[in-house]
Amino acid sequence: MQKPILELIKITKIFGQTKALSNMSLALYPGEVHAIVGENGAGKSTMIKIMTGIYQPTEGQIRVDGNVRTISNSQIAREAGVAAIYQEPMVFPDLNVAENIFISATNDGAWLNPKRQRQKANALIEHIGMALDVDQIASGLTLAEQQAVEIARALSQDVRVLIMDEPTASLSEHEATQLRQIAINLAKEGVAVVYISHRLEEIFEIADRVTVIRDGEHISTKLIKDVTSNSMISEMVGREVDNFFAKAPTTKTDEILLKVSNLSLDGVFEDINFDLHKGEILCFSGLIGARRTDVALSLFGVASHSSGSVIYNGQEVKFGSPREAMDAKIAYVSEDRRKFGLAMPMSIQSNMSLATLKNFLNRFGLLKVDEERKMATNFKQKLNIKTENVELEVGMLSGGNQQKVMLAKWLNMKPNLLIFDEPTRGVDVGAKVEVHNLIREFAAAGGAVLVISSDLPEVLSLGDRILVMREGKQMGILSNEDSNQEKIMALATGQNIQKEAS
Amino acid sequence: MVALLTKINPQLLRILALLLVFLTVLLFFSLVVPNYLNGRLFNRISSSVAIMALIATGQTLVIITRNIDLSIGSIVGFVAFATGSIVTNNPDLGPVALVTYAMLLGAGFGAINGVIVAYLKVPSIIVTLATMALFRSVLVEYSNAKSITTSNLPDWLISFPNTVLWHFGNMQFRAAFVVAIVIVIVVHICLSRLRVARKLYVVGSNPEAAEMVGINSKLVVFVAFILAGSLAGLAGFLFLARFGTITVVAGLGLELKSVAASVVGGVNIFGGSGTVIGALIGAMLVDLIDMSLVRWQFVSEFWREAVLGILILLSVTADAVLMRKLTAIRQKKKGVSE
Repeated sequence: MQKPILELIKITKIFGQTKALSNMSLALYPGEVHAIVGENGAGKSTMIKIMTGIYQPTEGQIRVDGNVRTISNSQIAREAGVAAIYQEPMVFPDLNVAENIFISATNDGAWLNPKRQRQKANALIEHIGMALDVDQIASGLTLAEQQAVEIARALSQDVRVLIMDEPTASLSEHEATQLRQIAINLAKEGVAVVYISHRLEEIFEIADRVTVIRDGEHISTKLIKDVTSNSMISEMVGREVDNFFAKAPTTKTDEILLKVSNLSLDGVFEDINFDLHKGEILCFSGLIGARRTDVALSLFGVASHSSGSVIYNGQEVKFGSPREAMDAKIAYVSEDRRKFGLAMPMSIQSNMSLATLKNFLNRFGLLKVDEERKMATNFKQKLNIKTENVELEVGMLSGGNQQKVMLAKWLNMKPNLLIFDEPTRGVDVGAKVEVHNLIREFAAAGGAVLVISSDLPEVLSLGDRILVMREGKQMGILSNEDSNQEKIMALATGQNIQKEAS
Repeated sequence: MVALLTKINPQLLRILALLLVFLTVLLFFSLVVPNYLNGRLFNRISSSVAIMALIATGQTLVIITRNIDLSIGSIVGFVAFATGSIVTNNPDLGPVALVTYAMLLGAGFGAINGVIVAYLKVPSIIVTLATMALFRSVLVEYSNAKSITTSNLPDWLISFPNTVLWHFGNMQFRAAFVVAIVIVIVVHICLSRLRVARKLYVVGSNPEAAEMVGINSKLVVFVAFILAGSLAGLAGFLFLARFGTITVVAGLGLELKSVAASVVGGVNIFGGSGTVIGALIGAMLVDLIDMSLVRWQFVSEFWREAVLGILILLSVTADAVLMRKLTAIRQKKKGVSE
């Protein structure tokens, strides 16, 4: 084997009282896709930040091409050829695509040349197989497009180690496949690709080696052929996770809570038809751009339908605002925690009481803080939220725990219908199982659940039935028993259109 | 039309829209005020805008980085006084020495703001609110509550701003105005074309991401304050030359006017976008309306400020609405093509 490009040697990183990394060693070789897996909070982000110069190790050393180097800031990391792209892309919303790509270019003269910059940007975008208008202002880009911009930015400079931190967490299956192909191609060109993902099946698809870390410690580094998904998971969580992908028995009752007929919103989606029973979990599956979220938002009163009917609890309804939907005991947990979900700088307890604040007011309109704390502490135990104190900022929690806080916020309302958009995006395996169990418990207690998910194993393990959408149209509803990943993907990509038509 | 609107660069669109508003205002007053459009109007506005243009340019640099400099008026006042006092005591000092002195002094004040904002991480609105008062108090102390008077200043200094370089009919292009315009244009070209200048926008647009791509955002913010300070210093020099008489209240209120000019000129108060040309036109617009209202009997003096306030509200609201519409149109277009 060749010499490693980048080596971490016995790195320890201590923040205040906590040891985020302890004695971590890792070697990255040219041409390999090196997957790193571990639960959230295992130390993956800290490790990336040390490799990219954002954090300095407390102990240990970093070697580049065998020589000890101090990477004291991200500029130096870039000079050493280390670049990273993140799950939540780092774009500059006010600049256009080309400007975003060449933002840190320093080797091209003091003056900008917009024309040449545009040409080079086009070439890079083409190289990674995307179609994008490079003059477009970045604020209008989709997540997948922003990710593409980030990769192009990394490629615009000499890149020898490319760290991809859950790049596909927010992407549709199709886009994720495209991105994995980019990673594989880069490795073929001699780049060491560090690939961090919670989607284990994707790791088996592209990784050459896998490193498992847990609680800041290195557990194992193995060739991909020497691991199985079960061995990986048990190393990650330090225990066996039973029935990881198993479908729990349905708790569906005969009582219909929601009946949606011919629901359409002009130019967005059309002719959506389904029943949702109490105790049932219905999953919406499809690629990004399938307009699944738009259907949910329409039910939640954000953008009311233009035709069709919604019968909820036996009555025809048309909610004009989320407030009305909430009053009817419908909860919508957004896919975008940052934007629509949580007030990050506020405490865990105030986030949890946000949707039901009036229940926590005394007769003078003042907040009953004790009651709020009691409720929050209750949820902390019930949902197993890992925090010392519910008065801490919610932004300090890991993704999985933030997701639980968001769920608590809505459970507080005691909803009849829970719409959960991408419940486990960016959440580690252990927390994923927990969130799934919470959803099942909610259904078992008689609630109806509508889950939107791009994660096929999740859809299969959660959904009693699966409604597949494509470009605003309903492609079909599958029962859990006769669905599998292939069937769902076939519908989602429109391969069954002819069959249905005939 | 819609297709054209989505193609065109939003910044350019803003400037075009501003020019349109400017012309509309000009047209309106020429209809209601007799004998309005003439060389004297141009001369008045150009003289007063010269100082404002520099301050608004400095303010724009700071606002682009998601900060604000409220001390800028105090810096102008202090520099005007200090420069006046040094030239009174040393009448032999030449223009180059004097301008350098003024700009360095301004840069020094900017550096104080910059260190506290960038390195000690105190919000700029608080820092500069404090230094606004502080710099002013230092001026009172330094000046001993005395004033600089025209009679003690050298002739070249007094005559400089009103030196007519060339003229079209009654419209005079005076030195101060020409200097200010040249500086605005130079800053504009640097800001839009210089690679390092892009960092100002980057830091204002997404500070976290800026760190991630290896940009030293602290240094960028620090430099922005220094540049703003030195532009304010230059404005202080022009202030001295134009008015001659400098008291402890010199430059009072310029900070808010400069923010108004920038914002009217399409500079995003949340950072990340804006041009100094926009700020210049914003400054001209504010001045134009200010001056025209004086001559319009219909509006009492009391209402002049209110009209200005309405203008600021209107322009910023229109800008926000327009930009949102444009984004929506763009996204819709993308949706169809996918």
